Amino acid sequence: MCTLKVISIGKHFSSTILFKDVSFVLNSGDVVAITGWNGSGKSTMLRIIAGLVRPSAGQVEMFCDNKPIPKKARRQYVGMVAPALALYDELTALENMEFFCRVRGVAYDRKSCFNILERVDLVKHAEKICGTFSSGMKQRLKLVQALIHKPPFLLLDEPGCNLDSRGIKSVKNIISDQRTCGITVIASNEKREVDYADSIVNLSN
Amino acid sequence: MGRIKVMIYKILLAIWMNLIIAAVFLYVEPAAGFPGEVSRILFFHVPMAWVATLAFLLSMIASSVYLITRKVSADFLAQSSAELGFLFCFLATVTGSIFAKATWGSFWNWDPRETSIVMLLMIYGAYFVLRSAVPDHEKRRVFAGVYSILAFCTVPFLVFIVPRITSSLHPEDTLNPAGPGMDMKTLIFFLGSLCAYTALFVWMLRLKVRMLRIMDNEQGVKFKI
Amino acid sequence: MFALTTLVAVSFSIGSFRIEESQRPFLYAVLLWIILVFSALSGLSRSFVKEQESGTMDILKLSARPQAVFLGKLFFNLSMLGVLELIIVPAFILLMGYKIKFPGCFVAMMVTGGLGLGAGTTLVAAMIAQANARGALFSALSFPLLLPLIITAIKGSERAAYGISAAGWPEVKIAAAYAIIMVTVSLLLFPLIWEE
Repeated sequence: MCTLKVISIGKHFSSTILFKDVSFVLNSGDVVAITGWNGSGKSTMLRIIAGLVRPSAGQVEMFCDNKPIPKKARRQYVGMVAPALALYDELTALENMEFFCRVRGVAYDRKSCFNILERVDLVKHAEKICGTFSSGMKQRLKLVQALIHKPPFLLLDEPGCNLDSRGIKSVKNIISDQRTCGITVIASNEKREVDYADSIVNLSN
Repeated sequence: MGRIKVMIYKILLAIWMNLIIAAVFLYVEPAAGFPGEVSRILFFHVPMAWVATLAFLLSMIASSVYLITRKVSADFLAQSSAELGFLFCFLATVTGSIFAKATWGSFWNWDPRETSIVMLLMIYGAYFVLRSAVPDHEKRRVFAGVYSILAFCTVPFLVFIVPRITSSLHPEDTLNPAGPGMDMKTLIFFLGSLCAYTALFVWMLRLKVRMLRIMDNEQGVKFKI
Repeated sequence: MFALTTLVAVSFSIGSFRIEESQRPFLYAVLLWIILVFSALSGLSRSFVKEQESGTMDILKLSARPQAVFLGKLFFNLSMLGVLELIIVPAFILLMGYKIKFPGCFVAMMVTGGLGLGAGTTLVAAMIAQANARGALFSALSFPLLLPLIITAIKGSERAAYGISAAGWPEVKIAAAYAIIMVTVSLLLFPLIWEE
């Protein structure tokens, strides 16, 4: 049982205010969508939750089994997909997975990696260099990268971008799987993706 | 400190500074063993170097405090102190160089003291460049703190290396404040000058910190609107 | 490449007999270290900028422990420096007719000097990757930090090559101490700039 508390978060860059006083609480099984105009700070909100950006005000708290997770340990609990996060172009898909398993301290095993790749239809391309991938294929691999350590907190920034109908279907499957074991935060304006969520946080208000 | 107290402080400081300057030129005799009047530079050069050292040390400590507590005021102190330290360090270099020309015949000859002062000027020059190159305020403060600690760790090495390479011409024994070379009158005015320069530094530091705080508040106000 | 170009230019214009015998120990040590430092800096500055440019910096922040990232980058930089020295130093010795009296001490000086170069600059590389005007900033920030090391290394190589009774060992020790201290301090400070 995990909990994510976002407490009156505000962010400004020098003199422009992005948003302020955003609060919400999520428990395992919840899926929330963050919506808002372009430039309203959806991606920044996700980056704040992931701990990549320091908020100007407020804080983010995470709990697992009622125990608070210290900031330094959060990367073990968070999986994130975002357009700005890139994989290593000079490695193959499988090597990328191996790299992320190793740095996260997850035991690397070829077979289970193939299983995950299966979920996003990438088995055929497992041994190809990532630099040659189309943007849709890269997006699929990014999804895989976020799931490698089975994170209870899954942050998806425009998960469906560049994906074809089969890719979108696998995103849907990933989100419904995540319902059984953790929290999902989606940042998107895509109607289809917003519909996956049970609640909506609109940053433009 | 209240306004009036600051006013009194300023006036006293001005009188004190002027008295010292007048006295060291008119009252104290030049030290023996130096050509002409050059030894009078002692009353200006040494306090400047002392203030520069003090300022850099203060800046380093304030930076560490900032990294631990993340209080913005600690960074204001670190930044102001570094800027003033740079100013005094530069003045000490110039006065030292003039003294070198007058006594040893050349402005610069890579004396150990000169080498280490150049190193300090380079470090803090780089420190200001770094500050100006990081747009994000918080990041800038952290980076500046990290850099000044890192730089501070390299300074002791100069102390090991430089004396192995050249020997110093810097007058220490002859003009050491506690040494036998300085008579009572000189010592009193030397210490007086040291106090005056330190007081001047404290006053300038307060001004600078206040200025940074006001500038920061202005930005804060913009954010609230 | 830069390293080889400089080396060829230097040895071509100076040759091995233009410098008087008495001047050689000192000037050769200076030239060798100037070539090494300048060619190393261009490569060292890239280590974190590369991650930033390809967009992998954030994903690395999300998945890896900061200490692991720092040590990884440090070892990469050190192996790069190792390769650079393996090419440059023998070539320099051959082209310039550099005679070395105490090869053991000389090699130790090269190794510790290289360690120091990598140790002193890795943290700076991590900082400039997140700042503006990266290339120029890197040398501006690195030089003051490297100055004690470079002076030591020049002195040490000079003594190892022409000194009496292996007098260069103290310099080797100073350079090693420099490398150890810089690595320790950088390791402590790195999480601060990484998690910003």
